[in-house]
Order: sequence, then C-alpha cells, then structure tokens
Amino acid sequence: MIHFLYFDPGLGAMVIQAIVAAVAGVFLFSKNLMYKIKVFLGVSKPEDDVFDDIDVKESDIESKSNSDKQ
Amino acid sequence: MTSNNRHSSSFRDPSGFIFIDQGLVKRSISPLYFEQYNALKSTGFFKKLHTAGLLISHEELWASNDEVIIQPEQISFINYPYEWSFGQYKEAALLTLKIQKFALENGFSLKDASAFNVTFHKGKMVFIDTLSLDFYQENSPWRAYKQFITHFLGPLLLAKYNGLDSLKLMNSFIDGVPIKMLSSMLPFKTKLNPFLYSNIHLLAKFEDKHNEDYKGESKASHLSKKAQLNIIKGLYDFIKKMSLKPTSEWGNYYDKTNYANDAFDQKAEIIDRWIKQLGAKTVIDIGGNDGTFVRKINQELKEALVCDIDYNAVNANHILVKKNKETFMLPFVFDVLNPSANIGFNNKERDSFLKRIKAYAPDVTMALAVIHHMTLSGNIPFEMSAEFFSSFSKHLVIEFPKRTDSWVQRLLNTKGEFKGHFDFYNIKNFESCYAKYFILVAKVAIDNSKRVMYVYKTL
Repeated sequence: MIHFLYFDPGLGAMVIQAIVAAVAGVFLFSKNLMYKIKVFLGVSKPEDDVFDDIDVKESDIESKSNSDKQ
Repeated sequence: MTSNNRHSSSFRDPSGFIFIDQGLVKRSISPLYFEQYNALKSTGFFKKLHTAGLLISHEELWASNDEVIIQPEQISFINYPYEWSFGQYKEAALLTLKIQKFALENGFSLKDASAFNVTFHKGKMVFIDTLSLDFYQENSPWRAYKQFITHFLGPLLLAKYNGLDSLKLMNSFIDGVPIKMLSSMLPFKTKLNPFLYSNIHLLAKFEDKHNEDYKGESKASHLSKKAQLNIIKGLYDFIKKMSLKPTSEWGNYYDKTNYANDAFDQKAEIIDRWIKQLGAKTVIDIGGNDGTFVRKINQELKEALVCDIDYNAVNANHILVKKNKETFMLPFVFDVLNPSANIGFNNKERDSFLKRIKAYAPDVTMALAVIHHMTLSGNIPFEMSAEFFSSFSKHLVIEFPKRTDSWVQRLLNTKGEFKGHFDFYNIKNFESCYAKYFILVAKVAIDNSKRVMYVYKTL
C-alpha cells in the first residue's frame, strides 16, 4: 500500500484504537441516551454554535454554481 | 508538460508534489497515486468534497502515463497552525474529522491528518492537501489517528489547560507535539476523564511500549469501520464542545481604550476616506484586534488580513467572521516583535511571515495604536519600524499617539529611572525617521485626543 512509503503511524497508536473506540462508544451511547431523555422531558435546547455538525449535508454536495472557483 | 521547480515544502508524500509554474501553484501526481486519483475522480468523491467546500477545488491540466498535473484554486495567503486562534484551531480539527467520516462513508480514508493540510481561506478552514485521500481498507485502524492527536487534540488541550500560548508549540514541532510530552504536560485531572485518558495518556503508554519493536513483531491490529467511526465521532463531539475558561475570554477592548466616542468615529472616517482615495483592495491591519476598524471601511475590499498578538482578539474576530459569513476577512495571530520564521527542512518547509507578506504585497498596511507598543515596550527604534513597514506594501496608514497620550505615559512610567532614555519618543523624531523610508501623503490630528493619523507612500 502506498501509505507505507509515507510516515510511521505508530504501532501503539494502531493497537490502542480498539480501546479508544470502545470508550468513545460508551460516551456516544450515553450522549444519545441523555439526548433522548432530554427530548422526552422537553428540556433539549437548540445549540447556538458557529461550528457545523460532523455530517456533510445533502444540500452541501448538490451541484452549486462554480462561481467561487478562481 | 514537465514539472520541475518542486516547492521546497513538498517532499513528504511520494504520491506527488507541489510546484510553482509562472507564479501559479500546481500539483504533479505520480503514477503511484493514479489508482487513487482516478477512483476519487470517477466516483465523484472529489466533486462532492469540492462542492461541500471541504477540499480546495482543482482542475486537471494534463494527464499522461507518467504524470498528472492539476491546478488547485490559488490561496492568497497561506496561514499556519501556530498562527491560529483557539476557535480557528478547533475549526481545522473538526474539518479534518468531518472529511475522514465522509471519506469512510465513501470508501476512502485520510492517510494523514497534519494540521498543515488545512489553512484559513475565504472565511473558513479548508483542506488543501488533495493527495491525502487513500482507499479505505476494511477493518483497518486509522493510520493518521496518532497524527491527529499530536497535531490537533493535543495542542487544543494544552491551550485549554496550559494557556493559549501553547498553540505556538506547533512552530517547534511541525510533526506534532510529541505524545509523551503532551501526556506529561496536561494536568492530573485529565487522567480521570476516560476519553482523555484513552486518547492521550494511554496512547502515550502504548507508544512507549511499542516503540522498541524494531522487528515489526507486533501483530497487525484490526478495527471495524463502526469502531473507527466511533473514534471519529467521539473526537468530533469532544472538540466541538471544548471551550476556554471564562476568565481568559475576550473582554471588550474598545471599552478600555482612552478614546472618546467622537474621536473613535473620526478615526474610522479618516481611515475609510484614505482607503477609498488609495483605491486599496487588499490591506493588512497589524494589531487589528477583532477587526473593528477594517469592518468600518465602506470601500469594498478583496481581502483584509487582520492580525493581532492577542489570541482572544483573533478569536473574537473569527467568531464574527463565522457569524457574519464574511469571506474577505482573514484573522490570524501575529507578534510584530517575533513574526513566524522559516522552519522545517532546509528552513524552507514553512515560509516566514515576511516572505509570505512580501509575496502578497497588500495595497495598504494599517498600523493603528501599535507604534507606541513597538517603540516603548519592544524598544524598536523608529527607523527600524519604518524599515519594517516599508518592506511589504506601498502605503502605510499609521496612528501616532503623542507623548502626552495616557497610554504612552503609562508605558513610559514602567521604564522607571530609565524614562529619560525614551525622550526620543516624540512626533518630530517619528516624522524625520519615517521620512527616510516614506513620502508623507496626508496627516490629520484626531480631535479630542492626543493622536495623529498619517498616510505614507514608500519611496
């Protein structure tokens, strides 16, 4: 594979990802649960944030005009 | 078409390299990367990334069996991680994760996650390394995971717990802040958080344990795509929520200045008039705070670089850029007493501020309420600051606070018994030193203040 020519990803870093993923899984699960509870109780408030969600929205990738292309 | 002139920053990835052709940045792709390149093109994934504004767009100029040449949209002023505010750094980290998640969903994966693959351009962070995408291998871990931690999560955590100036560490560690050092610098309480413990402290331990495996005996590890997505989403949620301690937040600077309201308005009006008269399209505002004075310019600007030494001011500017959806404003952190240097291999991988700004050559340099700090805090003689300001743009709009100004008095008083050494700080000396590098175009004293505005043209 081409990336083997490039840089060392760190062996420990490759091995550890299963653990990191498990921890993240617990966090995400509890976050979703809390969210559902909050929605159920009606205490969820809309976020006011300058940063987007992680998901790329369909509307973002629908063909726009390329006017901003130089 | 041949592509010599390889850019001195472009040697790490054998998939291709950047070169400059007649002043334009182009990218040569090696046959090593053809399979990936063609797949990214034919599946339409490049197009998706371009339309979503995540990856810098490009067009193919040339394709043969030995080489493909593409020309990316040109970036007017490349800025580096050690010049970003906390919010900008966050935005770059989130962009990288967003691309990785989107790539995984489309059968690709980022093979590296360097913070130098991202730059602030037209009001947002954009990924500029087109060749960073590779095929995703089923059940393989993310190779760039550690790089992401040492380039993004680590510096952000240091900024949060050890102060914003830690963001400058990327200047010394262009391959990322070493994980062991990160782990040792962060406070103990970060060990009690399972997310931070696993992503930083445990990672440091694992890296330490495995780094003596010279024979490559450790077995290859497996990780499902779902598990990798959990890592990505977990990091995204955590970083998105990261905030600074309220005490270090940006206070309202202009409430603390010694300007009367009408003097403030008059200053803004003078700047606006001069920028219009000069027909300036590009400006750099040195010590520009949160961009207040640039936003008061009515003349339409193509681009405004607004830099300040204060991380909180740059952060406040970044938030305004996002909220107003401005594309012309480029905020970055800058210390006029120590501008970013040339660093990396051969001292040529990342260009100094001076090299970049000379190439950019803004129509006007603005230096408002900054000369007294340079002269009295930095001890920079007038002649040297004049030489500096004359080296990268044709015009200079500069504000000179007279000796009797309250800020100047405060700075002079800090000199104690050496106050006498700064007797040279007066309007006559200022004008005669600046006359060695500039021709005076206009000069206006601001009413109800002890400040004078000048517009100069280089000789």
